[in-house]
Amino acid sequence: MAERTIRSPLPGIFYRRPSPDAEPFVKEGDVIQPGAVIGLVGVMKTFHEITADSGGRVVRFLVENEEPIRPGQEIVVLTDAGTE
Amino acid sequence: MLEVRNGGFETTVQDYPGRIGMLSLGFAPAGPMDDYAFRFANVLVGNPPGAAGLEITAGGLAVAFHDERAFAVCGADMDARLNGQRIELWRSYRARPGDLLELDYLQGPGFRTYLTVSGGIEVPPVLDSRATYLPGSVGGLDGRKLQAGDRLPLGEPSVDLGRVIDRRVRANLVPGYPGYNEVWEVEATRGPQADPDYMTSEDMDAFFAHHWKLDAASNRTGYRLDIYRWQWARTSGGAGGGHPSNIIDNGYPVGAVNVCGDQPIILCVDGPTLGGFICNAVVAKAAMWKLGQMVPGWSYIHFKEVSLEQAIDLLARQDTTISEENLERS
Repeated sequence: MAERTIRSPLPGIFYRRPSPDAEPFVKEGDVIQPGAVIGLVGVMKTFHEITADSGGRVVRFLVENEEPIRPGQEIVVLTDAGTE
Repeated sequence: MLEVRNGGFETTVQDYPGRIGMLSLGFAPAGPMDDYAFRFANVLVGNPPGAAGLEITAGGLAVAFHDERAFAVCGADMDARLNGQRIELWRSYRARPGDLLELDYLQGPGFRTYLTVSGGIEVPPVLDSRATYLPGSVGGLDGRKLQAGDRLPLGEPSVDLGRVIDRRVRANLVPGYPGYNEVWEVEATRGPQADPDYMTSEDMDAFFAHHWKLDAASNRTGYRLDIYRWQWARTSGGAGGGHPSNIIDNGYPVGAVNVCGDQPIILCVDGPTLGGFICNAVVAKAAMWKLGQMVPGWSYIHFKEVSLEQAIDLLARQDTTISEENLERS
Protein backbone atom coordinates (compact mmCIF):
# COMPACT_ATOMS: atom_id res chain seq x y z
CA MET A 1 0.00 0.00 0.00
CA ALA A 2 1.80 3.06 -1.28
CA GLU A 3 1.02 6.19 0.67
CA ARG A 4 1.78 9.56 -0.88
CA THR A 5 1.10 13.15 0.03
CA ILE A 6 -0.24 16.19 -1.76
CA ARG A 7 1.58 19.43 -1.03
CA SER A 8 0.57 23.06 -1.29
CA PRO A 9 2.77 25.09 -3.64
CA LEU A 10 1.66 28.27 -1.88
CA PRO A 11 1.86 29.82 1.56
CA GLY A 12 -1.41 31.08 3.04
CA ILE A 13 -4.46 29.91 4.97
CA PHE A 14 -5.72 26.40 4.17
CA TYR A 15 -9.47 25.80 3.81
CA ARG A 16 -11.12 22.39 3.51
CA ARG A 17 -14.49 23.80 2.44
CA PRO A 18 -15.55 26.01 -0.50
CA SER A 19 -17.51 28.18 1.96
CA PRO A 20 -17.98 28.13 5.75
CA ASP A 21 -21.37 26.36 5.58
CA ALA A 22 -20.50 23.90 2.80
CA GLU A 23 -19.38 20.28 3.08
CA PRO A 24 -15.61 19.68 2.84
CA PHE A 25 -14.24 19.16 -0.68
CA VAL A 26 -13.09 15.66 0.33
CA LYS A 27 -13.27 13.59 3.51
CA GLU A 28 -11.20 10.81 4.96
CA GLY A 29 -12.10 7.57 3.17
CA ASP A 30 -13.22 9.27 -0.07
CA VAL A 31 -11.87 7.94 -3.34
CA ILE A 32 -10.77 10.85 -5.51
CA GLN A 33 -9.79 11.18 -9.16
CA PRO A 34 -6.67 12.95 -10.47
CA GLY A 35 -7.37 16.68 -10.62
CA ALA A 36 -9.87 16.62 -7.74
CA VAL A 37 -9.90 19.74 -5.59
CA ILE A 38 -8.86 18.88 -2.03
CA GLY A 39 -8.87 22.38 -0.56
CA LEU A 40 -8.22 26.09 -1.03
CA VAL A 41 -5.31 28.29 -0.05
CA GLY A 42 -6.22 31.89 0.67
CA VAL A 43 -3.45 34.40 0.17
CA MET A 44 -3.29 37.97 -1.21
CA LYS A 45 -7.10 38.20 -1.05
CA THR A 46 -7.57 35.38 -3.56
CA PHE A 47 -8.31 31.66 -3.23
CA HIS A 48 -6.32 29.01 -5.07
CA GLU A 49 -7.40 25.42 -5.51
CA ILE A 50 -5.12 22.63 -4.36
CA THR A 51 -5.68 19.65 -6.65
CA ALA A 52 -4.65 16.01 -6.49
CA ASP A 53 -1.96 15.16 -9.06
CA SER A 54 -2.99 11.49 -8.83
CA GLY A 55 -6.12 9.67 -7.72
CA GLY A 56 -6.55 7.49 -4.63
CA ARG A 57 -8.23 7.09 -1.29
CA VAL A 58 -7.93 9.91 1.26
CA VAL A 59 -6.21 8.51 4.37
CA ARG A 60 -5.88 11.63 6.52
CA PHE A 61 -5.34 15.37 6.50
CA LEU A 62 -2.10 16.71 7.96
CA VAL A 63 -3.38 20.29 8.22
CA GLU A 64 -6.40 21.64 10.08
CA ASN A 65 -9.04 23.79 8.43
CA GLU A 66 -7.98 27.48 8.45
CA GLU A 67 -4.42 26.63 9.52
CA PRO A 68 -1.58 28.78 8.11
CA ILE A 69 0.60 26.73 5.77
CA ARG A 70 4.03 27.09 4.20
CA PRO A 71 4.95 26.50 0.55
CA GLY A 72 5.62 22.80 0.00
CA GLN A 73 3.80 21.77 3.18
CA GLU A 74 2.13 18.33 3.05
CA ILE A 75 -1.66 18.66 3.15
CA VAL A 76 -3.20 15.22 2.76
CA VAL A 77 -2.14 11.57 2.64
CA LEU A 78 -3.52 9.35 -0.15
CA THR A 79 -3.25 5.63 -0.71
CA ASP A 80 -4.16 3.46 -3.71
CA ALA A 81 -7.93 3.10 -3.93
CA GLY A 82 -9.17 -0.28 -2.79
CA THR A 83 -6.18 -1.05 -0.56
CA GLU A 84 -7.00 -0.59 3.08
CA MET B 1 10.45 37.28 -28.00
CA LEU B 2 9.87 35.46 -24.76
CA GLU B 3 7.22 32.74 -24.85
CA VAL B 4 5.29 32.06 -21.64
CA ARG B 5 4.68 28.35 -21.10
CA ASN B 6 3.28 28.71 -17.58
CA GLY B 7 2.29 32.06 -16.09
CA GLY B 8 2.59 30.78 -12.53
CA PHE B 9 0.65 32.18 -9.65
CA GLU B 10 0.94 35.92 -10.36
CA THR B 11 3.53 37.11 -12.85
CA THR B 12 3.40 40.64 -14.24
CA VAL B 13 5.51 42.93 -16.41
CA GLN B 14 6.89 45.79 -14.30
CA ASP B 15 9.26 48.68 -14.77
CA TYR B 16 10.85 51.10 -12.28
CA PRO B 17 9.86 53.58 -10.94
CA GLY B 18 6.55 52.81 -12.65
CA ARG B 19 3.84 55.26 -13.65
CA ILE B 20 4.96 58.14 -11.46
CA GLY B 21 3.66 61.68 -11.31
CA MET B 22 0.01 60.66 -11.62
CA LEU B 23 -1.17 60.24 -8.04
CA SER B 24 -3.29 63.38 -8.54
CA LEU B 25 -5.08 61.58 -11.39
CA GLY B 26 -5.72 58.52 -9.24
CA PHE B 27 -2.91 56.39 -10.70
CA ALA B 28 -0.74 54.42 -8.32
CA PRO B 29 2.81 54.00 -9.65
CA ALA B 30 2.74 50.17 -9.77
CA GLY B 31 6.26 48.83 -10.52
CA PRO B 32 8.17 46.08 -8.70
CA MET B 33 7.37 45.42 -5.02
CA ASP B 34 11.08 44.63 -4.48
CA ASP B 35 12.82 47.28 -6.57
CA TYR B 36 16.23 46.37 -5.08
CA ALA B 37 16.24 42.87 -6.61
CA PHE B 38 14.52 44.19 -9.75
CA ARG B 39 17.06 46.93 -10.44
CA PHE B 40 20.05 44.70 -9.73
CA ALA B 41 18.59 42.09 -12.10
CA ASN B 42 18.54 44.75 -14.83
CA VAL B 43 22.07 45.99 -14.12
CA LEU B 44 23.33 42.39 -14.32
CA VAL B 45 22.14 42.01 -17.93
CA GLY B 46 23.32 45.47 -19.04
CA ASN B 47 19.90 47.15 -19.04
CA PRO B 48 19.05 50.50 -17.48
CA PRO B 49 18.02 49.70 -13.85
CA GLY B 50 14.38 50.55 -14.56
CA ALA B 51 13.89 48.54 -17.79
CA ALA B 52 10.80 46.34 -17.95
CA GLY B 53 11.16 42.82 -16.53
CA LEU B 54 8.95 40.24 -14.85
CA GLU B 55 7.79 40.12 -11.25
CA ILE B 56 7.12 36.51 -10.25
CA THR B 57 5.06 36.15 -7.09
CA ALA B 58 5.11 32.85 -5.17
CA GLY B 59 6.53 30.90 -8.11
CA GLY B 60 5.45 28.75 -10.99
CA LEU B 61 6.75 30.58 -14.10
CA ALA B 62 8.07 28.83 -17.23
CA VAL B 63 9.36 30.77 -20.25
CA ALA B 64 11.04 29.71 -23.50
CA PHE B 65 13.66 31.90 -25.16
CA HIS B 66 13.48 32.45 -28.91
CA ASP B 67 16.60 34.64 -29.15
CA GLU B 68 20.10 34.59 -27.71
CA ARG B 69 19.93 36.84 -24.65
CA ALA B 70 21.49 37.53 -21.28
CA PHE B 71 19.09 36.98 -18.38
CA ALA B 72 19.17 37.15 -14.59
CA VAL B 73 16.90 36.01 -11.76
CA CYS B 74 17.10 37.97 -8.48
CA GLY B 75 15.02 37.64 -5.32
CA ALA B 76 13.38 34.69 -3.59
CA ASP B 77 14.59 31.14 -4.28
CA MET B 78 12.08 29.31 -6.52
CA ASP B 79 14.49 26.58 -7.66
CA ALA B 80 15.12 28.34 -11.00
CA ARG B 81 16.33 25.93 -13.67
CA LEU B 82 17.61 26.49 -17.22
CA ASN B 83 16.93 23.36 -19.28
CA GLY B 84 16.65 21.42 -16.02
CA GLN B 85 19.97 22.68 -14.61
CA ARG B 86 19.72 24.67 -11.41
CA ILE B 87 20.95 28.26 -11.79
CA GLU B 88 22.14 30.76 -9.20
CA LEU B 89 20.22 33.85 -8.20
CA TRP B 90 21.84 37.32 -8.47
CA ARG B 91 23.88 36.21 -11.49
CA SER B 92 23.61 36.72 -15.26
CA TYR B 93 23.49 33.83 -17.73
CA ARG B 94 23.31 33.28 -21.47
CA ALA B 95 20.09 31.85 -22.94
CA ARG B 96 19.99 30.40 -26.45
CA PRO B 97 16.97 29.98 -28.75
CA GLY B 98 14.88 27.06 -27.48
CA ASP B 99 16.17 27.27 -23.90
CA LEU B 100 13.54 26.78 -21.20
CA LEU B 101 13.67 28.63 -17.87
CA GLU B 102 11.44 27.14 -15.17
CA LEU B 103 10.65 28.30 -11.64
CA ASP B 104 9.00 26.09 -9.05
CA TYR B 105 7.35 27.12 -5.79
CA LEU B 106 9.11 29.02 -2.99
CA GLN B 107 12.01 27.08 -1.51
CA GLY B 108 12.66 29.26 1.54
CA PRO B 109 12.28 32.83 2.82
CA GLY B 110 11.16 35.58 0.45
CA PHE B 111 8.05 35.84 -1.71
CA ARG B 112 8.91 37.40 -5.09
CA THR B 113 11.62 37.00 -7.67
CA TYR B 114 12.50 38.99 -10.79
CA LEU B 115 13.47 37.92 -14.29
CA THR B 116 15.21 40.42 -16.54
CA VAL B 117 16.33 39.86 -20.13
CA SER B 118 18.89 41.96 -22.02
CA GLY B 119 17.02 44.51 -24.13
CA GLY B 120 14.11 44.52 -21.69
CA ILE B 121 10.49 43.59 -22.32
CA GLU B 122 8.97 45.90 -24.90
CA VAL B 123 5.24 45.82 -24.32
CA PRO B 124 3.70 49.16 -25.36
CA PRO B 125 4.10 51.85 -22.67
CA VAL B 126 0.86 53.24 -21.23
CA LEU B 127 1.15 56.77 -19.80
CA ASP B 128 4.94 56.47 -20.18
CA SER B 129 5.34 53.20 -18.26
CA ARG B 130 5.22 49.46 -18.98
CA ALA B 131 4.36 48.63 -15.35
CA THR B 132 1.25 46.49 -14.83
CA TYR B 133 -1.36 48.07 -12.56
CA LEU B 134 -3.60 45.08 -11.92
CA PRO B 135 -6.50 46.85 -10.12
CA GLY B 136 -6.91 49.18 -13.11
CA SER B 137 -6.05 46.59 -15.83
CA VAL B 138 -3.47 49.04 -17.17
CA GLY B 139 0.03 48.53 -18.60
CA GLY B 140 2.12 45.39 -18.93
CA LEU B 141 0.58 42.81 -21.25
CA ASP B 142 -3.08 43.83 -21.71
CA GLY B 143 -3.16 45.05 -18.08
CA ARG B 144 -3.18 41.52 -16.68
CA LYS B 145 -0.99 38.82 -15.19
CA LEU B 146 0.75 36.48 -17.62
CA GLN B 147 -0.61 33.13 -18.77
CA ALA B 148 0.55 30.21 -20.92
CA GLY B 149 0.71 31.18 -24.60
CA ASP B 150 1.64 34.83 -24.02
CA ARG B 151 4.43 36.16 -26.23
CA LEU B 152 6.46 39.05 -24.84
CA PRO B 153 8.34 41.27 -27.33
CA LEU B 154 11.93 42.11 -26.36
CA GLY B 155 13.94 45.25 -27.06
CA GLU B 156 17.35 45.41 -28.74
CA PRO B 157 20.17 44.88 -26.23
CA SER B 158 22.41 47.94 -26.02
CA VAL B 159 25.61 46.06 -25.10
CA ASP B 160 27.34 42.90 -26.35
CA LEU B 161 26.10 39.71 -24.75
CA GLY B 162 29.63 38.57 -23.91
CA ARG B 163 30.16 41.61 -21.70
CA VAL B 164 27.14 41.02 -19.49
CA ILE B 165 26.92 37.26 -18.95
CA ASP B 166 28.50 35.40 -16.03
CA ARG B 167 28.41 38.36 -13.68
CA ARG B 168 27.35 38.28 -10.04
CA VAL B 169 26.16 40.80 -7.50
CA ARG B 170 28.80 41.08 -4.75
CA ALA B 171 27.90 38.60 -2.00
CA ASN B 172 27.74 41.26 0.74
CA LEU B 173 25.02 43.08 -1.24
CA VAL B 174 22.75 40.03 -1.63
CA PRO B 175 20.13 40.45 1.11
CA GLY B 176 19.33 37.64 3.51
CA TYR B 177 15.57 37.47 4.07
CA PRO B 178 14.12 36.83 7.55
CA GLY B 179 12.40 33.45 7.67
CA TYR B 180 8.84 32.42 8.44
CA ASN B 181 7.60 33.82 11.79
CA GLU B 182 10.61 36.14 11.88
CA VAL B 183 10.76 39.93 12.09
CA TRP B 184 11.71 42.37 9.33
CA GLU B 185 13.07 45.72 10.45
CA VAL B 186 11.52 48.43 8.26
CA GLU B 187 12.67 52.06 8.37
CA ALA B 188 9.78 54.54 8.53
CA THR B 189 9.25 58.26 9.12
CA ARG B 190 6.68 59.59 11.62
CA GLY B 191 3.52 61.26 10.35
CA PRO B 192 2.02 63.03 8.41
CA GLN B 193 -0.83 62.39 10.92
CA ALA B 194 0.74 61.17 14.14
CA ASP B 195 1.14 62.59 17.67
CA PRO B 196 0.09 64.78 19.32
CA ASP B 197 -2.81 65.80 17.04
CA TYR B 198 -4.18 62.42 15.97
CA MET B 199 -2.52 59.77 18.14
CA THR B 200 -1.02 59.95 21.62
CA SER B 201 2.73 59.69 22.09
CA GLU B 202 2.06 56.33 23.79
CA ASP B 203 0.31 55.20 20.59
CA MET B 204 3.35 56.14 18.52
CA ASP B 205 5.74 54.51 21.01
CA ALA B 206 3.71 51.33 20.71
CA PHE B 207 3.67 51.64 16.92
CA PHE B 208 7.48 51.73 16.78
CA ALA B 209 7.86 48.96 19.39
CA HIS B 210 5.26 46.37 18.37
CA HIS B 211 6.03 43.39 16.12
CA TRP B 212 3.21 43.66 13.59
CA LYS B 213 1.95 40.45 12.01
CA LEU B 214 1.45 40.63 8.24
CA ASP B 215 -2.00 39.29 7.38
CA ALA B 216 -2.44 36.64 4.67
CA ALA B 217 -4.89 39.03 2.93
CA SER B 218 -2.02 41.32 1.85
CA ASN B 219 -1.13 42.11 -1.75
CA ARG B 220 0.36 44.80 -4.00
CA THR B 221 -2.44 47.16 -2.98
CA GLY B 222 -2.10 46.96 0.79
CA TYR B 223 -0.27 45.08 3.55
CA ARG B 224 -2.70 44.52 6.40
CA LEU B 225 -1.29 44.45 9.93
CA ASP B 226 -2.98 43.35 13.14
CA ILE B 227 -5.75 45.39 14.71
CA TYR B 228 -4.45 47.41 17.65
CA ARG B 229 -6.27 49.14 20.52
CA TRP B 230 -5.05 52.73 20.07
CA GLN B 231 -5.67 55.44 22.69
CA TRP B 232 -6.26 58.12 20.02
CA ALA B 233 -5.77 61.82 20.74
CA ARG B 234 -9.30 62.68 19.58
CA THR B 235 -12.69 61.21 20.38
CA SER B 236 -13.93 61.43 16.78
CA GLY B 237 -12.80 62.44 13.32
CA GLY B 238 -14.85 65.65 13.46
CA ALA B 239 -15.89 66.77 9.97
CA GLY B 240 -13.98 63.74 8.60
CA GLY B 241 -16.18 61.12 10.23
CA GLY B 242 -17.20 59.42 13.45
CA HIS B 243 -14.05 57.42 14.20
CA PRO B 244 -10.86 59.17 15.41
CA SER B 245 -8.98 57.59 12.48
CA ASN B 246 -11.17 59.61 10.09
CA ILE B 247 -10.02 62.87 8.51
CA ILE B 248 -11.28 64.91 5.58
CA ASP B 249 -10.08 63.10 2.44
CA ASN B 250 -6.48 63.84 1.50
CA GLY B 251 -3.73 62.40 -0.70
CA TYR B 252 -1.84 59.31 0.50
CA PRO B 253 1.91 58.83 0.06
CA VAL B 254 3.11 55.52 -1.41
CA GLY B 255 4.28 53.42 1.54
CA ALA B 256 2.04 55.20 4.03
CA VAL B 257 0.84 53.31 7.09
CA ASN B 258 -2.86 54.04 6.73
CA VAL B 259 -4.78 53.47 9.96
CA CYS B 260 -8.36 52.51 8.99
CA GLY B 261 -10.36 52.36 12.18
CA ASP B 262 -7.99 50.42 14.42
CA GLN B 263 -6.26 48.50 11.62
CA PRO B 264 -2.97 49.73 10.12
CA ILE B 265 -2.50 48.93 6.42
CA ILE B 266 0.68 49.77 4.52
CA LEU B 267 -0.29 51.24 1.15
CA CYS B 268 1.91 49.51 -1.43
CA VAL B 269 2.77 50.36 -5.04
CA ASP B 270 -0.77 49.58 -6.31
CA GLY B 271 -2.41 51.30 -3.32
CA PRO B 272 -5.14 53.94 -3.19
CA THR B 273 -4.03 57.50 -3.92
CA LEU B 274 -6.38 59.33 -1.53
CA GLY B 275 -8.86 58.76 1.23
CA GLY B 276 -10.14 59.80 4.62
CA PHE B 277 -8.02 57.93 7.17
CA ILE B 278 -4.91 59.09 8.96
CA CYS B 279 -1.42 57.93 7.94
CA ASN B 280 0.68 57.79 11.11
CA ALA B 281 3.96 56.84 9.37
CA VAL B 282 5.49 56.32 5.93
CA VAL B 283 7.88 53.51 5.01
CA ALA B 284 11.20 54.92 3.78
CA LYS B 285 11.45 54.48 0.00
CA ALA B 286 14.75 52.62 0.44
CA ALA B 287 12.95 50.09 2.68
CA MET B 288 9.98 49.46 0.39
CA TRP B 289 11.75 46.49 -1.24
CA LYS B 290 11.48 44.57 2.03
CA LEU B 291 7.70 44.50 1.70
CA GLY B 292 8.11 42.62 -1.57
CA GLN B 293 9.89 39.74 0.16
CA MET B 294 7.65 39.37 3.20
CA VAL B 295 5.37 36.35 3.24
CA PRO B 296 1.68 37.20 3.78
CA GLY B 297 0.39 35.35 6.84
CA TRP B 298 3.89 34.64 8.19
CA SER B 299 6.14 37.70 8.41
CA TYR B 300 6.36 40.24 11.23
CA ILE B 301 7.33 43.92 10.89
CA HIS B 302 9.18 46.10 13.35
CA PHE B 303 9.10 49.76 12.27
CA LYS B 304 12.35 51.57 13.03
CA GLU B 305 11.90 55.32 13.18
CA VAL B 306 14.15 57.39 10.92
CA SER B 307 14.16 61.11 10.20
CA LEU B 308 13.31 62.46 6.74
CA GLU B 309 17.02 63.26 6.25
CA GLN B 310 17.99 59.69 7.14
CA ALA B 311 15.36 58.32 4.75
CA ILE B 312 16.72 60.49 1.93
CA ASP B 313 20.26 59.37 2.74
CA LEU B 314 19.24 55.69 2.75
CA LEU B 315 17.73 56.13 -0.72
CA ALA B 316 20.81 57.93 -2.08
CA ARG B 317 23.04 55.14 -0.78
CA GLN B 318 20.75 52.46 -2.23
CA ASP B 319 20.70 54.16 -5.66
CA THR B 320 24.52 54.29 -5.62
CA THR B 321 24.80 50.66 -4.54
CA ILE B 322 22.76 49.32 -7.46
CA SER B 323 25.44 49.75 -10.12
CA GLU B 324 27.90 47.98 -12.41
CA GLU B 325 30.69 48.68 -9.90
CA ASN B 326 29.09 46.23 -7.50
CA LEU B 327 29.12 43.30 -9.92
CA GLU B 328 31.94 40.82 -10.28
CA ARG B 329 32.85 38.22 -12.87
CA SER B 330 31.72 34.71 -11.93
